[in-house]
Amino acid sequence: MNIKFPVSWLREYLKTDLAAKTLANHLSLSGPSVERITKHKEDFIFDVEVTSNRPDAASVFGVAREANAILAYRNEQAKLIEPKGLNLILEPDISKRLKLDVVIKNKSLCSRFTAIVMDNVTIKPSPAIIRNRLEAAGTRSINNIVDISNYLMLELGQPMHTFDYDKVKNAKMILRESEEGEKIVTLDNQTRKLPKGAIVIEDQKRLIDLCGIMGGANSQISNRTKRVILFVQAYNQLAIRKTTQALSFRTEAASRFEKGVDTEFIPQALSRAVYLAKKTSGAKIASELIDIYTGKRKTKQISLELNKLKSYLNTDIYPGSALKILKLLGFTANTSSSKITATAPSWRAEDIEDDVDLIEEVARIYGYHNLESKLPEGPIPEKSNDELKKTINLKESLKFQGLTEVMTYSIISKDLLNLAQIKEKGMVELSNPLTEEWQFMRPTLLISLAQVIGKNQNLKSDLKIFEIAKTYLKNPNELPKQDLMLSVCLQNSNFYEIKGLIEQMFQTQNKEAKWQKLSENHRLFEKDETAEITIDRQKIGTVGILSSKTTDYFDIKGKISAAEINLSNVYDLPSSAKTYKPIPKYPPIIEDISAIFSNSTPLEGIISAVRKAGSPLVRNIEVIDIFEDEKLGVNKKSVTLRLTYQRSDRTPIQEEVNETRNNISKHLEKSFLAKIRK
Amino acid sequence: MNNKIQKVAEEAKTNISNCQTQQDIDLVYLEVFGKNGTFTNLIKEISKIRKSDRPKFGQLINAAKKTLDGILKEKQASLKLQKERKFIDVTAPGKKRELGHLHLVSQAIEEIVSIFSQLGFQPASYPEIDWDWYAFESLNMPKNHPARDDWETFFIKGEPKSKLGNQVLTPHTSNGQVREMEKIKKPPIRMLNIARCYRRQIDISHTPMFHQFEGLLVDKNVSIADLKGTFDYFTTRFFGPKRVTRLRPHHFRFTEPSFEVDVTCSICKGRGCRLCKDGWLELGGAGMVHPKVLAAGKIDHNKYSGFAFGWGVERTIAMRTDLDDIRLLYQNDIRFLKQF
Repeated sequence: MNIKFPVSWLREYLKTDLAAKTLANHLSLSGPSVERITKHKEDFIFDVEVTSNRPDAASVFGVAREANAILAYRNEQAKLIEPKGLNLILEPDISKRLKLDVVIKNKSLCSRFTAIVMDNVTIKPSPAIIRNRLEAAGTRSINNIVDISNYLMLELGQPMHTFDYDKVKNAKMILRESEEGEKIVTLDNQTRKLPKGAIVIEDQKRLIDLCGIMGGANSQISNRTKRVILFVQAYNQLAIRKTTQALSFRTEAASRFEKGVDTEFIPQALSRAVYLAKKTSGAKIASELIDIYTGKRKTKQISLELNKLKSYLNTDIYPGSALKILKLLGFTANTSSSKITATAPSWRAEDIEDDVDLIEEVARIYGYHNLESKLPEGPIPEKSNDELKKTINLKESLKFQGLTEVMTYSIISKDLLNLAQIKEKGMVELSNPLTEEWQFMRPTLLISLAQVIGKNQNLKSDLKIFEIAKTYLKNPNELPKQDLMLSVCLQNSNFYEIKGLIEQMFQTQNKEAKWQKLSENHRLFEKDETAEITIDRQKIGTVGILSSKTTDYFDIKGKISAAEINLSNVYDLPSSAKTYKPIPKYPPIIEDISAIFSNSTPLEGIISAVRKAGSPLVRNIEVIDIFEDEKLGVNKKSVTLRLTYQRSDRTPIQEEVNETRNNISKHLEKSFLAKIRK
Repeated sequence: MNNKIQKVAEEAKTNISNCQTQQDIDLVYLEVFGKNGTFTNLIKEISKIRKSDRPKFGQLINAAKKTLDGILKEKQASLKLQKERKFIDVTAPGKKRELGHLHLVSQAIEEIVSIFSQLGFQPASYPEIDWDWYAFESLNMPKNHPARDDWETFFIKGEPKSKLGNQVLTPHTSNGQVREMEKIKKPPIRMLNIARCYRRQIDISHTPMFHQFEGLLVDKNVSIADLKGTFDYFTTRFFGPKRVTRLRPHHFRFTEPSFEVDVTCSICKGRGCRLCKDGWLELGGAGMVHPKVLAAGKIDHNKYSGFAFGWGVERTIAMRTDLDDIRLLYQNDIRFLKQF
């Protein structure tokens, strides 16, 4: 959390001649960071980031305490001055005592409860110094009594509350756990329906406080208030946290209570509140101090091996220096020849748990900037076979094929999911989506890619894009299947263009894929213009033309050829190692052969028939030309193959070539009813 | 005989000097030295000469041949020189193959991987949807701990498992820490995990999906000095030689001590300007691995220590390219993508 306050306020507790900027720099390097310094009239405002483990530093006095330790260690001149009135003797000032009955139903809800009643209060505006400080810190000044709460919270980090004593029915307070559905109107005039387990205070008949979060409107201070209850507590942190979560309502007080306050300091905070009330409103103490302390926290003694400290810092720090740092920070600490034992001050009771916490304290005050910088020594681990490097190489190769990489969100809307006609049941759904636009983890990247084309089609008509990202499919009782996918979309393109691209992609991966017709309908592709690819009988992708339903959805004109390849599967497959084959010594004879086939005859079958019939003389077969023409007949196509006849012992003679060619022709005529073109 | 040689040689010389192309030269060569060439025929006449005159004839023939060879070569060379003197406009554009573009995020990832690889950090990848245990609990963030609020986490619908808890969209790459320890078992560990991460926030410096890279080093006697050295190594290579880093105290539950790492601002070189915080830009979080995290990964924390860091890729890009709105990275406008 961040806190803002004027530097002049800080200087009330930290006497130093250092300039604001120098002070800020010391704090940032060794304590809470001063994120911004802004000029405010004659003053500066510090905006300080305080980490969640240090609620004790989230106050002006807390920052002063930190700064004092840092400056003292660096031999800068500095002195810490406590706020006035921390240790008043809290006894009634007047003979007419006001009673307050307090019952705590469940002791675990409130580790320390203090309260005191003040009479003779005059409600009026706060003195200028308080008003100005609150306003500089971004808090609106209300009146002298209400302002005490906000002032104290900023000054000491301890939230507190004030009640109008006369509005608490029968001067009775019962602190208990809420029942589900109970209602309270809080100070901001909102009616809050409570979950079970919120901490509340009930007077004779109604709820008057949503403890630790916000007071009730029915017992608040008004201009006519004459008698007040000053109220300082420490509550069960988890109960506060659960209530703020259930209500989706968090106040600054709540966020401090859930991080924990210093229970030892509570009477002093109350004393300071009494001091301020007396000073600003003429109030007099009208009751005994009520102090119910059931949750005293134990601060444990921690020991730190000096060797461990030296090893972490990589420097020979004097035990005396480490000890000095801890003492400056309020620790009780001792040192022996090999270790330091230390006990944290009460305001750090929760934060300091282990020896490494002590290392941090010593190291930061010693100064991280004073530590050496060197490269890690020690052995370098064995190389792991990783998909990230393969993916980087693949992306590079696609870039050189003219493709541009896009990155789209992995979370998609229900509408887009429906477009893919995927059943929601198998999908991974967020339970707390940010908006409807981001609700499901996508099972495919293709929809997102089509969307990108739709968005850009007025800028370019031949977009070639790809993305590599994980996809998600539900896996009962286990983590979802999270396979890495490569998706490609080519605008205004055809099947063979995308097929060529994917074939070359596999070539760079040293893998050989098998292409076949789609075995079942695919929700995003046109069935008749799409292929399924397999490697070693494992299905690894789909390549073809996007369905018009998909392209229409994004108003895309023209055809999109697309591919989606499961890279997790591809990476898992062994790649075929390349072996050396001798370069032929004798020249080949190269001939073309053309034949007319039915246009439904797959080329793969023709080629394998030619290879078989031409063996062993035919060493290579290349497809030169495929075309369809009315002149060839209905549903016919002409295919021209270039055949390489070659021998390793000599140049083939014409006779053997003729014989092989005849054999091939016969085979094609017989198996495919082909007509050889002469 | 001498005259005859001279005559043939003179004739050849004239023919050579008349040549305009390499083809002409080849023709003349055949006419003179070919199977039935003038010079070849001359040599054949040696049989008609008296034996005593033969050596002299041989010498004359050889000398003439040498001269002709020289002239031929010279002519060839001069023809080549003429041919190469062709004018081209070197300022006209060349013929290009279409080239695509890699996304800025990929380019940064590639660079980051290569820099950390030099220090022996091995890329690893872990689930983007993971169990609460790996994303929080094993990282010293028990259920209901307020520190969890710093990660605005998306949860996945479904029943929680007893030890592992709910499934979450990983809000950081730190889920890779304990997973890596479980995989490697015995240090040394030098891991680099780069992945998509998700948080419930969107504004000019946040997108609900972003990329983080996580480094983890576990070994004997690892110190803060090692971590500083690693960051300095990365910073000077990624941002440039004059940039330096500093550590500020911070708090993360899974590291102790914890730091925020700053790098000097590129604009003002550390003097302070309106774009930075007093000359420094925040790079990301880091720290010494908490003993409880090592314990969760079943690594003996009395024997080993380590450091970890997790930084946003988008953030480092923004710091380098003056990109003022991170959301642009995921709008996929082709005019944006083509700039890189």
